[in-house]
Amino acid sequence: MISVQRRSGSSLGWNITCYSAAMICAFLTSAALLTFSGGDPVKAFSALLTGAFGSQNALYGSLAKATPLLLVGLGTVIAFRAKIWNIGQEGQVFAGAMAAYWMSLWVAPLPYWLAWLLIAIAGLVGGGVLGLLAGYLKVRFGTSEVISTVMLNYIVIYILAYLLDGGPWMESGLTVAYHQSSPVNPLLEWPILLGQGSGKMHIGFILALAAAAFCAVLLERTSLGYEIRAFGSNPTALRFRGTNIRRLLLVVMLLSGALAGLAGAGELFGTSHRLRAETLLGIGSSGIVVAMVGGLRPSGVMLAALFFGALKSGAIYMRLKSGTPAGLVSAMEGLVLLFFLCAAVATKLQLVRVEEKVHA
Amino acid sequence: MVRPVVVEELLKVRNLTKRFGAVAANDGVSLDVRKGEVHCLFGENGAGKSTLSACLYGYYRADSGEIVFKGKTAELNSPADALRLGIGMVHQHFVLVSNFTVLENIIVGSSDVGVFLNKSEARRKVVALCQECGIDIDLDREIWQLSVGEQQWVEILKALYFGAELLILDEPTAVLTPQQSDQLFRIISGMRSRGLSIILISHKLREVMQSDRVTILRKGKVVATVETAGSTAESITALMVGHKVTKHVRDRSVMPAGEFLSLRNVCAKGDWSEDVLKDVSFDIAKHEVLGLAGVAGNGQKELFEVLMGVRAASSGGFSLDGEAIVAPTSREMLDRGVGFVPDDRFLEGLIPEFGTAENLVLGWQRAPEYRRGPFLDRRKLGLLARKKIEEFRVVTASADLPVERLSGGNAQRVILAREFLHARGLLLANQPTRGLDVAASEFVCEKILEKRAAGFAVLLASEELDDLMRLCDRIAVIFKGRIMGIVRPEETSLLDLGMMMAGDAKEPERTVQ
Ligand SMILES: Nc1ncnc2c1ncn2[C@@H]1O[C@H](COP(=O)(O)OP(=O)(O)OP(=O)(O)O)[C@@H](O)[C@H]1O
Ligand SMILES: [Mg+2]
Repeated sequence: MISVQRRSGSSLGWNITCYSAAMICAFLTSAALLTFSGGDPVKAFSALLTGAFGSQNALYGSLAKATPLLLVGLGTVIAFRAKIWNIGQEGQVFAGAMAAYWMSLWVAPLPYWLAWLLIAIAGLVGGGVLGLLAGYLKVRFGTSEVISTVMLNYIVIYILAYLLDGGPWMESGLTVAYHQSSPVNPLLEWPILLGQGSGKMHIGFILALAAAAFCAVLLERTSLGYEIRAFGSNPTALRFRGTNIRRLLLVVMLLSGALAGLAGAGELFGTSHRLRAETLLGIGSSGIVVAMVGGLRPSGVMLAALFFGALKSGAIYMRLKSGTPAGLVSAMEGLVLLFFLCAAVATKLQLVRVEEKVHA
Repeated sequence: MVRPVVVEELLKVRNLTKRFGAVAANDGVSLDVRKGEVHCLFGENGAGKSTLSACLYGYYRADSGEIVFKGKTAELNSPADALRLGIGMVHQHFVLVSNFTVLENIIVGSSDVGVFLNKSEARRKVVALCQECGIDIDLDREIWQLSVGEQQWVEILKALYFGAELLILDEPTAVLTPQQSDQLFRIISGMRSRGLSIILISHKLREVMQSDRVTILRKGKVVATVETAGSTAESITALMVGHKVTKHVRDRSVMPAGEFLSLRNVCAKGDWSEDVLKDVSFDIAKHEVLGLAGVAGNGQKELFEVLMGVRAASSGGFSLDGEAIVAPTSREMLDRGVGFVPDDRFLEGLIPEFGTAENLVLGWQRAPEYRRGPFLDRRKLGLLARKKIEEFRVVTASADLPVERLSGGNAQRVILAREFLHARGLLLANQPTRGLDVAASEFVCEKILEKRAAGFAVLLASEELDDLMRLCDRIAVIFKGRIMGIVRPEETSLLDLGMMMAGDAKEPERTVQ
């Protein structure tokens, strides 16, 4: 008889086994889902792979898709490690993009490096302020951040809709609203580092990698990181031991929102070059998934972001090539998350062979 | 106590071993528990008592060895398995549903209740149980209305309702007032006379001496099992630590001098804005230990919180070293050199997921001495941890093992190490020896006296009146948030203290300065 038991320590081999099993399960269920919805899984998956890694440009495209996911994922890690449930990444991405766009309307006369810097800072500030607002509501009125961040998502998304649909940011020279802004000043677009045509990787990817390193060092090596982790484990003791936990909560929400905001700015100035809701929607929620799959560790989040970036970028090609419905890709994302969460639980368990004996 | 007539082994443990990494928490433990006996497990912090009980009620699985219950080898893979066989455990942190009634909590999860709770049948059974064990409780009150002691009874009733024949109690009195402890022991003897067996873990000798037999553990191994009737507290302690424990007494040649902490008419409100502190005034001088005696829940906790800056005084105030402290924060108090040992160690004193090293600097994580530029100096923390682990004899596999995995007493040592290291001038200690073994308690007493000799002012709250009598220069007694009087130990008897703790005020002229 085999029985399942709690494990008293962790083992690398077992962890790898669990997560590999999770990958395989996610893959098989996705294949089943594809077949069930009338597709050909072999064709679909090969299209997916080609779209993600098939050529140099495809690869760069995957990296570009990974960029905002990584940034949002990192922001999520900062908040979730403190057990502060910021789930307003969607709105924070929007706010970052909107603030950056607003900034771009003013900075064109400046030297281009200064303009870029100001735009990036505006993105950070936009997302950060929105995060801070939710933090303030919690500190001041005790509002649950889960509720306030979701509500703020709606508010920000509708404000953007207003601005683009007959509001001041509507694309100029049109009488019909396309729910988008005019293209940003080409001089202000973020530099493309690699690739051309459909697969371009902008400087935001480097920023995101730097942010990952920053977050890893912040969490594991600095006093602030110590406080963030301690807050997640036992805020009462932290308060008794001289830390102003209200201020800490605000700082965490600010940082978390700022990273999401930078993701929004990068997406706007690096990829889409036009402020438009559709291009930003879903980055926030996928970023949360990336953070969870990455085990709330910056290194893990980096791997997860690359994986989901490839998935997203491959999915576009898959849809074109095999006509797979777009919804299926979200479903696959969800499946990966589900199986990874199961795997995370499984890593804490072990299988033990139990011999049944009868006492003489 | 009447000895059980028939000697019959209910539980036999043979060569049980349980390892955590390199640490053998239980190393070839063998133990017999007879039917109808109170069997005490006694041993140093980290000796493996909690681990042994966790193996017995199915929380951990032993690496090797055999557990025989009622003549059959027991395969325990979960607490549910254990309960099915008749082994129940009363947790120190209760797992009750707080807005269910007592009755509902007792019967929830039992198989004979069915989908629809058959409460009248269940009630009959529970009432009968209560009568047999002498438990007096209103079955229709909700859990949140009960005291900690009463909640413990509910846990006991629940185990009995499920048919437990062996009940394991791990340091059950650590959270109880003396009165509640006495009641608990009455219930224990009630259960014993019903033929139930009880495994009791305790560090308090007077509780240990109420058992039938004692098994002494040291470093995971059984040292001996002795009949309590043929032993003395001293002989049992000697078996546990391997030598005699000398009790330290304060050095009377060192006289308190120079007022350091001084409280004037401090009032404070509790969590439900009830008055918890009423006009508390006292002074503590340098080189002085002021004891705070009182039954738990009479405002001690809140008094410490006010002095630590985490609870605001509603009126009155205090001064430290001649400086009035206005609207303090915990940061300010730490920076002024106040050391604080809270009574709820895991809630208020430790970050459970952090290791010993990180917990040693909790509150000082931004101090320049532990930083290199913006970074925490890991190497320094490691060195510090190694030094303190040795000095305070913390039993842990490594400096980074999360303290939630340490035994209760060892976790307490981590806090003590931190506070004794960082305090300068004032030490606030609320139940610092709670959960510590005899030798470790004495170690703490010795450290407190060292601080006194070094010129510290110490406020020491303890339920161990004997300790207060030998350590303190003066003892303040608190009752319902009011200081009933301040007395000198050499002019007071334990009986007097007990009276004052029960609310019998001293004549004002007996309050000494
Ligand atoms: N989950 C765990 N992981 C690693 N080590 C553990 C774990 N649980 C217990 N230990 C170690 O096993 C040893 C025995 O611990 P245990 O809690 O049984 O001691 P104890 O006798 O109950 O002590 P105390 O009187 O302080 O409560 C300790 O050294 C402890 O650090
Ligand atoms: Mg224990």
